[in-house]
Amino acid sequence: MEVKILSAKFDIEDSHRLEVAKKHGAYGTLEKLFAMDPADVIEEVKNSGLRGRGGAGFPAGVKWGFLPKDLDKPIYLAVNSDESEPATFKDRYILVRDPHMMIEGIIICCYAIGSHDSYIYIRGEYTSQLKILQEAIDEAYEAGYLGEQVAGHDFRLDVTVHRGAGAYVCGEETALLESIEGKKGQPRSKPPFPAVVGLYDCPTIINNVQSIASLPFIIEKGAEAYRAYGTEKSAGTHLFGISGHVEKPGMYELPLGLPLMEVLNEVAGGVWKGRQLKGVIPGGSSTPVLTPEEAHTVTLDYESMAEHKTMFGSGGIVVLDETVDIVKLVENLIAFYHHESCGQCTPCREGLGWMLKIIRKFIAGDGREDDIELLLELCDNIEMKTVCVLSAACTMPVRSYLEKFRHEFESYINSSNSDPVQSQAE
Amino acid sequence: MGETVKLFVNSQEVEVAAGKNLIDALAVAGIQIPHFCYHPALGADGNCRMCLVEIEEGRPPVVPACKTPAMEGMKVVLDSAMIKKVQQDMLEFELINHPVDCPVCDQAGECDLQDYYMAYSLEESRMDVPQVNKKKKLDFGCGVVHDQERCVLCGRCVRFTRQITETGELGIVNRTDAARVDIFPGKPLDNRYALNIVDLCPVGAMTSSDFRFKQRAWFLTRDKGVCHGCAKGCNMYIDHHREKYGDDIIYRYRARTNLQVNGYFICDEGRMSYHLQNNDRQTETIVGGASVSFDDGIKAVVEKLNQAKKPLMIVSPNSTVGQMWAVLRIATLYGGDVSGYSDGYIIEGSGDDYLIHEDKSANRRGLELLAIKQDRAHLLETLGNADLVLNFDNDFHFSAHDIEVAKLLSEKDYVAICSHRLTAFETASVVIPIASYSEYDGVIINHDDVIQRFSRAVHKNNPPKDIVEITRLLGGAITDWKRAWPGIRQTISLLREVEPDQIPEEGMKLMNSGEPDVTA
Repeated sequence: MEVKILSAKFDIEDSHRLEVAKKHGAYGTLEKLFAMDPADVIEEVKNSGLRGRGGAGFPAGVKWGFLPKDLDKPIYLAVNSDESEPATFKDRYILVRDPHMMIEGIIICCYAIGSHDSYIYIRGEYTSQLKILQEAIDEAYEAGYLGEQVAGHDFRLDVTVHRGAGAYVCGEETALLESIEGKKGQPRSKPPFPAVVGLYDCPTIINNVQSIASLPFIIEKGAEAYRAYGTEKSAGTHLFGISGHVEKPGMYELPLGLPLMEVLNEVAGGVWKGRQLKGVIPGGSSTPVLTPEEAHTVTLDYESMAEHKTMFGSGGIVVLDETVDIVKLVENLIAFYHHESCGQCTPCREGLGWMLKIIRKFIAGDGREDDIELLLELCDNIEMKTVCVLSAACTMPVRSYLEKFRHEFESYINSSNSDPVQSQAE
Repeated sequence: MGETVKLFVNSQEVEVAAGKNLIDALAVAGIQIPHFCYHPALGADGNCRMCLVEIEEGRPPVVPACKTPAMEGMKVVLDSAMIKKVQQDMLEFELINHPVDCPVCDQAGECDLQDYYMAYSLEESRMDVPQVNKKKKLDFGCGVVHDQERCVLCGRCVRFTRQITETGELGIVNRTDAARVDIFPGKPLDNRYALNIVDLCPVGAMTSSDFRFKQRAWFLTRDKGVCHGCAKGCNMYIDHHREKYGDDIIYRYRARTNLQVNGYFICDEGRMSYHLQNNDRQTETIVGGASVSFDDGIKAVVEKLNQAKKPLMIVSPNSTVGQMWAVLRIATLYGGDVSGYSDGYIIEGSGDDYLIHEDKSANRRGLELLAIKQDRAHLLETLGNADLVLNFDNDFHFSAHDIEVAKLLSEKDYVAICSHRLTAFETASVVIPIASYSEYDGVIINHDDVIQRFSRAVHKNNPPKDIVEITRLLGGAITDWKRAWPGIRQTISLLREVEPDQIPEEGMKLMNSGEPDVTA
């Protein structure tokens, strides 16, 4: 099932070194790239069906097309490497094991959109990753792949790494821009969208690391070759980070569209310790949970996830076995999003804290039946009323747990102060 | 109103100005959209979410009105169950961690949170978990006191210090529900406009140490006034009240919007100048060092005027055009000279490039247009010739450093007709108390040639008389400045077209004004 496109060099020793990467084809697309018209590059990416790999899944080529034409302003590319979504650990593999693939992708993207300055926004906690990335950039400058004349062509490109300070919200693209500008990382109101008014008020494209890293293959082999993988609406391959209660957790590159349970059983070794499956978080903590029944019918692509009223997300799959206490999981989830709320707009700032206190009432044995209803209502009251979607990243999964595992919340009410999972295990 | 667009609000067609956001555009049509963070002087921030409105067939269907321009054909819904629920929900979120200490809060009665709760919610609290505790009674400097628990984090104050004063003393620190407005450690507010933050704050989070706990907002009578603190003539509200068995006193000034003069703000110095309307007032009539009745005081002055060969009338650059005119008229009657010497009002370097003018007088343009001489040489000459000096409220305290003038004055028979004790020199043989600018009406012309009319706000238990009335008691013919206006208009060509009753609220810019242009 596994394929090796993005991960082709992941297992090669020292693949982050330019010398090694070049031996295995790095920067091999540049001659072809510079022979192409930038508009054709955009067209090729559009045709490839590549969708943004940050979680939202917006078609990458279409996004580039939103840039205003003939504007007398610089265009920026910001590469979102803030990878902060709990259970997501795909971009770090690229940063560490094949940074030159990403740099090559940056060159392709910048050439296509006419940008000469790119920023890589890397999360503050990625310290060793930052070091490797910066070394790779330095090597690329030295070798002439970045700088005044990229690979000897009349095209300037500078790449600057900007390190975040550890805020989840800075993965939201406009908060990311604020942070690069040196301001407090708070999302902007949209419109205007970054493609029109972005970094330093200039048109800006923001793409995820994996989206960018997918470009060399598309340019080298063509859109059709990329579409050979995946489904019609979910083309290509994806790096899936599978974690939780499976026998073989890890990072696997797979074509899109495979049945989830097949992947869990055949690639990740199935639910560990012979236990029963309780649920699956399909694409990072912010995606609504799937029940075992749903997990058996869903496939790993954007369409099927939407049909199952969840989202493909970041490809960070978390397997929950029968011992998981959903109430405590939800507490952990709300605590995270409450802590990471930027505090700018009212519903998220005040609402998530309230929700956290309510869920803690359950754990303290003080939960009531109407608290479940209140939590569900608060999800509605907060969601889509905010500046950005951080709050929805909390309320959407919380609602799914409340609806699909309501009995677990109720058992906290009925057996106050006793741990239902504990008593179940005994 | 310039270019307009037609849109629908709750299915009703409304025509509003183009290019404005929905809050401003619809406000003109009398439709209120509740909001905390938006302020026309500070722009739209979009953080409070109180102004969310529904746009039929819009994408997305719910948008903040502050960030949404009024557009042709737009279908705005404010009365749907969904929007009413959103407004309730936003108020619930604002209130869950709010102390609801309205009974002891200065803002009560003029609090947007309180008013919106009454208008849009009235729901019972569902909050049965502990509230977030933050700090209270923080001294932010410049007389601004902050309560973090009452704060709705709208950021108006922060944006004010960044965009208007460009001093940036305030910021919002921390994230999530720990977010709070704060100053940098040891770096309090330090600008001359800081108290506008108290006006800007939609709730009771920013209060003025000067006003705190002095008066409940609902007792205050809010009259419109024009600040006399400098030549800018900023518009403000005079908030005053007469306590039972007490006198009518002013509790505060607040900024009043006038885009032609001061925009949305006033300076702190002007704001605090209300104290001088209450305090240090001259209330006694004095003749020869002894307290007498007002009538006896006037009689004494009339006697002096009748005996004087060459009286000198000194007028104040703070007086209204009508008052100056009345003094000119009785000077003619008694064959006297008139001086508007007031160099002391100009304090070099005290102005800025925003609202504060270095000329601390409100109507120097009035003196100029009436061709009243202001130069020192003229004063010294006329003072030398005079055998009686009548000072009509010109605060010579400003010129106290001028020893030569003071000495000359002390040798003369000197009558102080003054609103404040400061101007009543000890050498005065007669002191007549008069009204100050909050107690009379008239017109003044600011440094930018904007003529503004203001009305009497304060009615003292024993109302002091204003200069026009004093001149009448001294034998003058003018009973009312408005009746004298035809004469004034004849004299000042610039005012020829100006009718006092037709001066708009925002004042009127006088055109083609230059040098004194007296024709009579």
